[in-house]
Amino acid sequence: MRGSHSEAIGGIFWGGVGIFFALGAVKLKLGTFHSPGPGFIPLGTALLLILLSLFTFAKGLIRPTRQTGEIPWKRPALVIGAVFLYGLLITVLGFLPSTFILMVILFSLLIAFRKRKWLCVILCAAATALGAWLVFSVFLRVPFP
Amino acid sequence: MDFFYNILNGFQITFQPTNILYCFIGVFIGTLIGVLPGIGPSGTISILLPATFSLSPVSSIILLAGIYYGAMYGGSTTSILVNVPGEAASVVTCLDGYQMARQGRAGPALGIAAFGSFIAGTFSVIVLMFVSVPLAKFALVFGPPEYTSLIVLGITILAYLAQKSLVKALMTASFGFLLSFVGLDTITGKARYTFGIPDLMDGVGVLPVVMGLFGVAEVLQNLDIPEGISVFKTRLGNLVPNQKDWKDSWKPITRGSILGFIIGIIPGGSAVLASFVSYATEKRCSKHPERFGRGAIEGVAGPESANNSAFGGGLVPLFGLGIPSSVVTALLFAALMIHGVQPGPFLISEHPEVFWGLVASMYLGNILLLIINLPLIGLWVKVLKIPQWLLLPLILLFCIIGAYAINNSLFDVGVMMLFGIIGYLMNKFGYEAAPLALAFVLGPIFEKSMRQSLRLSGGDFSIFITRPLSAVLLVMAGLVLLSYFFFKKQRGVLEGGGEAV
Repeated sequence: MRGSHSEAIGGIFWGGVGIFFALGAVKLKLGTFHSPGPGFIPLGTALLLILLSLFTFAKGLIRPTRQTGEIPWKRPALVIGAVFLYGLLITVLGFLPSTFILMVILFSLLIAFRKRKWLCVILCAAATALGAWLVFSVFLRVPFP
Repeated sequence: MDFFYNILNGFQITFQPTNILYCFIGVFIGTLIGVLPGIGPSGTISILLPATFSLSPVSSIILLAGIYYGAMYGGSTTSILVNVPGEAASVVTCLDGYQMARQGRAGPALGIAAFGSFIAGTFSVIVLMFVSVPLAKFALVFGPPEYTSLIVLGITILAYLAQKSLVKALMTASFGFLLSFVGLDTITGKARYTFGIPDLMDGVGVLPVVMGLFGVAEVLQNLDIPEGISVFKTRLGNLVPNQKDWKDSWKPITRGSILGFIIGIIPGGSAVLASFVSYATEKRCSKHPERFGRGAIEGVAGPESANNSAFGGGLVPLFGLGIPSSVVTALLFAALMIHGVQPGPFLISEHPEVFWGLVASMYLGNILLLIINLPLIGLWVKVLKIPQWLLLPLILLFCIIGAYAINNSLFDVGVMMLFGIIGYLMNKFGYEAAPLALAFVLGPIFEKSMRQSLRLSGGDFSIFITRPLSAVLLVMAGLVLLSYFFFKKQRGVLEGGGEAV
C-alpha cells in the first residue's frame, strides 16, 4: 500500500479535505462577485486545493516514488495515547497524580531496555510533577481542571 | 528630532529591570534550544507564547524575539562541535565549522560565528530602525488589492522555497487558509465550519495549531533519534579568532549581513535561506572555492552573519506593513494580536513603545548573546549531554500545560495533539508545515482584503492587475512560479547538494 502509492493516497486525502471544505462553503451564502459572501473565498481556496490534489494524485499514479520506508508509528502512537489518557485522568485524579503517571509512562517509553533505571524514572517523574505544579500552579497561578 | 526621542524612549523601556530580565531569559532560552538539536526556535516560540500572557506586549515581544535570534547564535555551537545543526539555519555552518573543529580550530570557528552574528545582528537592527518608519508611511499606499497580492507573493515564495515540492507546499498553504476560515465570519457574523462545537466559534486557535505543528510534531519526530551525542572532544582553546581569521572574515561578514537583511525583507524569506545563499555567495566570491567544505572560515562567518541579519530584515514587513513574511514573524504577529496590539502600518505610530522597545532590546540582546556564547560555551557543551528521554517528555508536558493555559480548555490541548499528529505525518510524507502556518495566520487578512477588493471594484477581478503596485506583486509571484517549472533541473542540483550534508 505504501511506498510507491503514497503520493496518490496523499492526493486522495487532500482532495477529500478540499471537497469537505468546498461542500461546507457552498452551504454558506456564496454571494456574488460584486459582494462576496462568507462562502466565497473558502470555496475558491477549496477548489484550488482540489485541483492541486488531483495533480498530485495523477503524478502519484504516473510516477511512483521510491520506497519511503515504514513510518515509525508505534512510539508516537503510544505517546499520543498517553496524553489522551492524561486528559481523562486529570479530571478525575487532579494534576499531581496524573502528571506523575504521564511522566512515568513517557520516560519509560523512551529510556529503552535499561530496567535498572526504574528508580531513576520514578524519581524524575515525581520531581517533574512536583516542579511543574510549583511553577505553574503556585507561581503562575494557572487554574487546573 | 522625533526619531531620537523615540529611540531614547525605546532604550528607556528596555532598560527597565524587568525587561532586561525578559530579554536575558529570551536570549538564554534561545541559545539553549539553538544548541539542542531537535527543538527549534519556531517550536519554542509557539510553546512559550501562552506563557507570555501575563506580560505586557513589549515584554512578550522582547522575550520571544530574543528566543529567535538567540537560537541563531546557539545553533552554530552544535554545528561546529558535533556536526549536527542545532536548528535549520545552522545547517550550512556544519560544512566548514565542523571541519575547522577537526583541525583543532573549534575555538576560532565558534568565535567568528559569535562575532559575525553580533555584527550582523546589530547591523540589521540599525537598518530596521531607519527603514521601518518610512516604510510604514509608504504602506499607506497599500490598499486591499495590494495586500492581497502581497500575501499571494509571500505564500508563493515560501512555497517555492519548500524543500520538497511546490505543489505540496501550495496544498499545505491552502489548507492553512481553509483552517483559518473556521469560526465566525467577521464580515457577516455567520458561523462557518463550526458544527455546533462552541469551542470552534472563535476559530481554531492559532496557538494550539502552531504548538502542535512545530512543538509536538518535533517531539514526535525526535522519538526515534538514537541517544547520545558525541561532542567533539577538543580543547576549545582560544575563542578569539586571530588576525588572519579576521582578515579572511570581514568581507563574508559584511556580505552576509547585507544579504541576510535583504532576504529577510523579501516575503517568504527566512534565516535558513539567507544562510544557504550566503554560503553559495562566499564560495563564488572566494579565490579558492575548493577550500570550502574543508574548514574555510568564510563558510562560517558569512552564513552565521546572514542568518542573524535575516531576522532584522524579517521584522521590516511585520512592523512596516503589518504582514508577516515568514513563520517566525507570523508567530510574533500572532503574539502581538493576542496582546491586543494590531499589527499594521499604524503599529509604530499607535504603539511606539512596542517597536522601539523591541529595537532597543535587540541591541541589548546581541550584546548579551555575545557574552553568553563565548565565555559560557562550556555550559552549552554540558547541555548537549542531557539525555533525550528526559528532555522530550518535559517539552511535551510543557506544551500540554501551555496549550491548556490559553483558555483553560482541554479542547485546545486536543487540537494541539491533533496538529502534532498532522505535522508529524506531513513531515514524513513531504509536506511542509511552514506554508500552513503562514497561510493560517494570514488567512483572515487575505480574505478580508480580497473581499474588500472585490467590493471596491464591483466584482471585477482585473482590479488586481490594473492597480500598478498590485500588478507588480502578482507579476513577481508569477515569475517565481514560472522559474520553478523552468529551472527544475537546477533545483535538483541544489537539493542534491543540500542532502549531501
